[in-house]
Amino acid sequence: MSAARPRRPVGGAGRPWGLWGLRGAVLAYLALMIAVPLLAVFQRGFRDGLGAFWGELSSPIAFDALKLTVLVAAVTAGINFVMGTLTAYVLARYEFPGRRFLDGLVDMPFAIPTLVTGVMLVVLYGPSSVLGGWLESRGVSVIFAKPGIVLALLFVTYPFVIRAVQPVLLAAERYEEEAAFTMGASKWTVFRHIVLPTILPAAASGALLSFARALGEFGSIVVVAGNIPRRTLTAPVHVFGEIEAHNERGASAMSVVLLALSFGLLLLVDWRQRRKVQVLRG
Amino acid sequence: MRRDGSRGGAGFLALPLSVLLAFTLSGCRKEEPAAPGAPPAAARSATLILGGYTTPREVYGKAIIPAFKKAWQEKTGQQVEFRESYQGSGAQSRAIVGGFEADVAALSLEADIDRIAEAGLITHDWKAKPHGGMASDSIVVLAVRPGNPKKVADWPDLTRPGLNVLTPDPKTSGGAQWNVNAIYGAALRGFAGAPKDDRAAARELLKKVFRNVSIMDKGARESMTTFEKGVGDVAITYENEVLIGKQAGQKYDYVVPRSTILIENPVALVDKSVDKHGVRAVAEAFVEFLHGPEAQRIYARYGLRSVDEEVAKENVAQLPPVQDLWKIDDLGGWKKVSQELYGKDGVFTQIMTELGSKR
Repeated sequence: MSAARPRRPVGGAGRPWGLWGLRGAVLAYLALMIAVPLLAVFQRGFRDGLGAFWGELSSPIAFDALKLTVLVAAVTAGINFVMGTLTAYVLARYEFPGRRFLDGLVDMPFAIPTLVTGVMLVVLYGPSSVLGGWLESRGVSVIFAKPGIVLALLFVTYPFVIRAVQPVLLAAERYEEEAAFTMGASKWTVFRHIVLPTILPAAASGALLSFARALGEFGSIVVVAGNIPRRTLTAPVHVFGEIEAHNERGASAMSVVLLALSFGLLLLVDWRQRRKVQVLRG
Repeated sequence: MRRDGSRGGAGFLALPLSVLLAFTLSGCRKEEPAAPGAPPAAARSATLILGGYTTPREVYGKAIIPAFKKAWQEKTGQQVEFRESYQGSGAQSRAIVGGFEADVAALSLEADIDRIAEAGLITHDWKAKPHGGMASDSIVVLAVRPGNPKKVADWPDLTRPGLNVLTPDPKTSGGAQWNVNAIYGAALRGFAGAPKDDRAAARELLKKVFRNVSIMDKGARESMTTFEKGVGDVAITYENEVLIGKQAGQKYDYVVPRSTILIENPVALVDKSVDKHGVRAVAEAFVEFLHGPEAQRIYARYGLRSVDEEVAKENVAQLPPVQDLWKIDDLGGWKKVSQELYGKDGVFTQIMTELGSKR
């Protein structure tokens, strides 16, 4: 393999179909899998004109659903930003028994159907459980209220920040940290002034990704939220309701907004990373 | 790499080509016979595809289908295999319209069958069948905690401040519209503390009930599951949901409001599918079987009310009587109710908007 490779011209000049075949196939795959379905949503959302599109979104129920979704996604992203960064730091920089196991556990939320996540949270925090009963006796409602939504989202988006920060930490040269330690800096000082600046962009990217993921979450929320319009009804659940109520246009309009928000954020993540690369190169 | 930009044409061709290929492939698949039990005519086995809503999954899967298989084999010597799909009534209806080739559709409400008919897939007048095309009935009731500790007896009790009421979301679950219709209709009929035919008072009652609703699950079954987890004081639900829950060992009781709606669940043969699969005879026999006394007794065993008068009489002792039982037609039929209550400016939509975050 290593012997054959250098003989092939990198540009693929002698075999255009080979190179373009791969590129074309991948692009076609991307188009079929992502672009075409997205276009269909956009097309349906705008088919009856901008006025109709706006009309679907300006109802108080739709507007509040969107507001709530952005709010809980932002809270989730904020908590992930802090806790995910700390978790990644601990997993990358400390040795302790069970570390590998915990490291593996981080990805579990991706493997569990989010509907199961919702049911699990209801069982855990519902009034028939010890924890839920205790909370209820203190007048705290977690489940079927906004805190329940955030709990579900935190579970579902748990890996994002950790998995964004961890590789950066593992790849980072440690001599700066070690030098600081030998000069008598405290752990906190080292973290604050040496580690944090290195991982901040990755943490921010992870937080934005978790925000985008939280915007679209449905399976767990529909179980834990209670789904009361203008109170605990989130945008994805609203979309589901509109589909069930045969209002395809309303569903598409809201989906377009969620898509635009997610897409904008992902572009932002991309732009940040590009800038970082440019800074490093420059 | 960048040098290759001039040859971009080939790459751009690949995209439409693959799209075309994909469509051609999926087109080809459609031409193949979808059911293994398709003709020759006197085949020794046939396959029926049943598209149902979620509530009667147990009734069909465990009891009615085995009974029909047996009866059909005794009569014709032919074996029938069933492929069953159960999901929310609206979703099932859309799936069938979208190309899921169910031979028989058993759904929660008329409107969902109508949609299939409007798409041209049901070409006969399905309502001309016995019992207006309805296979089973139920009523909207109130599930309460054992012994009814909150002393809930009728619709107006649901407005009591501090009571925690569950009902599925009428938007996500077409079947949940039965619940809202029941409250609104009972009020209009003068049975829920509101003057007869006073729309404003009926609206007010509905609003006060929904002020106490803190959870709207996406379907009737999910709503009862939440109730079973100890959440809520009252669950507005269907009688058969309560009875089947009790059969499964759940501890709750139910009360029948003085006035409530008769839930009617339609069944229809999907002409386009049965003709394509060549299973019209057996599909017709199945629909007929559903209306017959044997299947009607099975429905009753699973907590549904029978559409057959004879069978209904047999079970009259087990099911509590209703003082004022009425049908959707008494509210003007599904079309009118859909608009009046659930449309963009419908009563229910308005109420949910008004209640807003004030609670």
